[in-house]
Amino acid sequence: MKVQLLVLVIFFSFVQSVFGQGKAYYNQTEFGVLFGKKTDSWDGQSENRVDLSILTFHGAKISKNQVIGISVGLDQYDWISVFPIAFGWRGFLGKANKPQLIGGFDMGGGFALLEKKEKTEWYESRYQGGLLLSPSIGMKFPSKKGKKTSLTMSLAYKRQELGFFQGFFEFNPTPRPFTSTSLPPGYSSITETSYLFHSLVARIGFIF
Amino acid sequence: MNMKNIKQLISLLLLMIGAVSLTSCQDEVMTTHTYRAMVPIFLEMSDIRAKTITVAPPQELDNPGKIYLYGDYLLINEPTKGIHILDNTNPANPVNKNFIPIEGNVDLAVNSNILYADNYVDLLAFDISNINNITLVKRVEDVFTHMYRHDTGQIITFRDSVITTDNAFRGCANCEFFTMNGSVGFAANFSAAAQSYGTGGSMARFTLSSGHLYAVDESTMRVFDVRDAKDPKFVKPIDLGWGIETIFPFQNKLFIGSNRGMHIYDASTPGSPTRMAVYEHLVACDPVVVNEDFAFVTLRSGNLCVNNINQLQVVNIEDPYKPYLMKSYPMLNPHGLGLSEDNLYIAEGKHGLKSFKVSDVMTIDQNQMEFLESMKSVDIIPGPKSLIVIGPDGVCQFDYSTPSKLVKLSCIDVKNPVTVQ
Repeated sequence: MKVQLLVLVIFFSFVQSVFGQGKAYYNQTEFGVLFGKKTDSWDGQSENRVDLSILTFHGAKISKNQVIGISVGLDQYDWISVFPIAFGWRGFLGKANKPQLIGGFDMGGGFALLEKKEKTEWYESRYQGGLLLSPSIGMKFPSKKGKKTSLTMSLAYKRQELGFFQGFFEFNPTPRPFTSTSLPPGYSSITETSYLFHSLVARIGFIF
Repeated sequence: MNMKNIKQLISLLLLMIGAVSLTSCQDEVMTTHTYRAMVPIFLEMSDIRAKTITVAPPQELDNPGKIYLYGDYLLINEPTKGIHILDNTNPANPVNKNFIPIEGNVDLAVNSNILYADNYVDLLAFDISNINNITLVKRVEDVFTHMYRHDTGQIITFRDSVITTDNAFRGCANCEFFTMNGSVGFAANFSAAAQSYGTGGSMARFTLSSGHLYAVDESTMRVFDVRDAKDPKFVKPIDLGWGIETIFPFQNKLFIGSNRGMHIYDASTPGSPTRMAVYEHLVACDPVVVNEDFAFVTLRSGNLCVNNINQLQVVNIEDPYKPYLMKSYPMLNPHGLGLSEDNLYIAEGKHGLKSFKVSDVMTIDQNQMEFLESMKSVDIIPGPKSLIVIGPDGVCQFDYSTPSKLVKLSCIDVKNPVTVQ
């Protein structure tokens, strides 16, 4: 349900950008695939990770060849859905109305909003968002008929950090915390997992 | 750009994707597991006995355990470390006087200016008649023998520790069980150390009655003859069965709370108490306080004795051989309790502190005097000058000369106070 909602939001922002654009307004919406390599399993085998990625960038021109703005989207990493929100920059090289080279850089955070926080009598667990860095390079191909819509293809590196926290509650009848910075009061044990996903993203989309 | 160029670009991109995905950096996953554990420590009793115990200047209360009231003094145990002595002449301003470092100490009791304290397997007796010159007068060796490893003179003890490991439980489907086991072990051990708060409190494990000192551990009651206060003599151990938690003396009887029920012992022959009855209930943790006719027992859920029961039970003990349940009242999450004449104070954990008039035990629920929701508490000791309440705010004292209206006098700061969930 939430995924559908997100797709709708992206779709409407897309539609809105078509009709609501000003001259300074820039929108780049792309769909693509994230490629990565999972950690080695117990027997030393490594599997590839191939998942969906959606990114929509909304920005404003700050000069003839540069745009800054905000990108949002959805990235799937194996079983975790991550919503990236980042400040982004796009630069263009080449003549207008000709295929141009696009360079981009996004920096922000990714949040596992769809992953449910669990809290029972015994434990609680949650995903924690993390830093996102993504330089990209791509091509912009202006459409032949329309003057404003262009096709884009891009290739990006995406570095996404994520965390997972699981804490088991203390069941001592009158628990007393330790003088320990590593174990927060109220927990008998915690498990913290930090994920760092390195991905190559191939995307195709449009600029309006 | 023509079609050819586009095709070239696409093939270039695909090639790059292929190349990068084959050689790219792998995802990194780091898991750290942090848990409490009891780390075993082996000690030679001969080494411990060889050390001289020197009274130290006052120390900040770190993680107090039992609290014992004696005259104008408050004696507060720092589990496994020693005993703080505070001058409580003015309950509105208790003054920390000094600290007796006693390794392995978890409990204490005072009789005629003699302080009894456990030191691993030994029982120590200190003369505290002059608080500025506390002296060790007697050591009774090898009495709490459950700590001994049988074949050697070594004792095994456990230190509360926090351990962090990397990837130790990676791929382990039952991590939770390891965790929970660690916690269980911890709690079981810690319960011996820190959950009870001295005589007067309902969670004590050392108690004095008729010239005898009774000390309970998980399964055994040990009897000491202290009629000559300076010369405690070990009389005998009495097997109680498992799950023993608290001991409360009243008029030649000992009321022993276990996690299965309440044992009543006849101590009219103080050196050899005999069992009169066991009042059994479902497994739950249960401090006990007693007056002439009734025992008040609290049962609560949310701890190791898991049962979804939060109750105050009133047990009729007019015939101590045949205790029976008179009535039970629903409570929120009752921990310790304290009885002063007809006034019953119940520590409701995070929910606060309640007081009841219990002159009619059948209508306790209709005679609630106060419910101080802000006063989170785990145990209560009705002292001669003040009502002592232990909770997350530290060790607080209330004026309860008007039982229905508690007036806060002071709180002693504690570095690591109890947390209540």
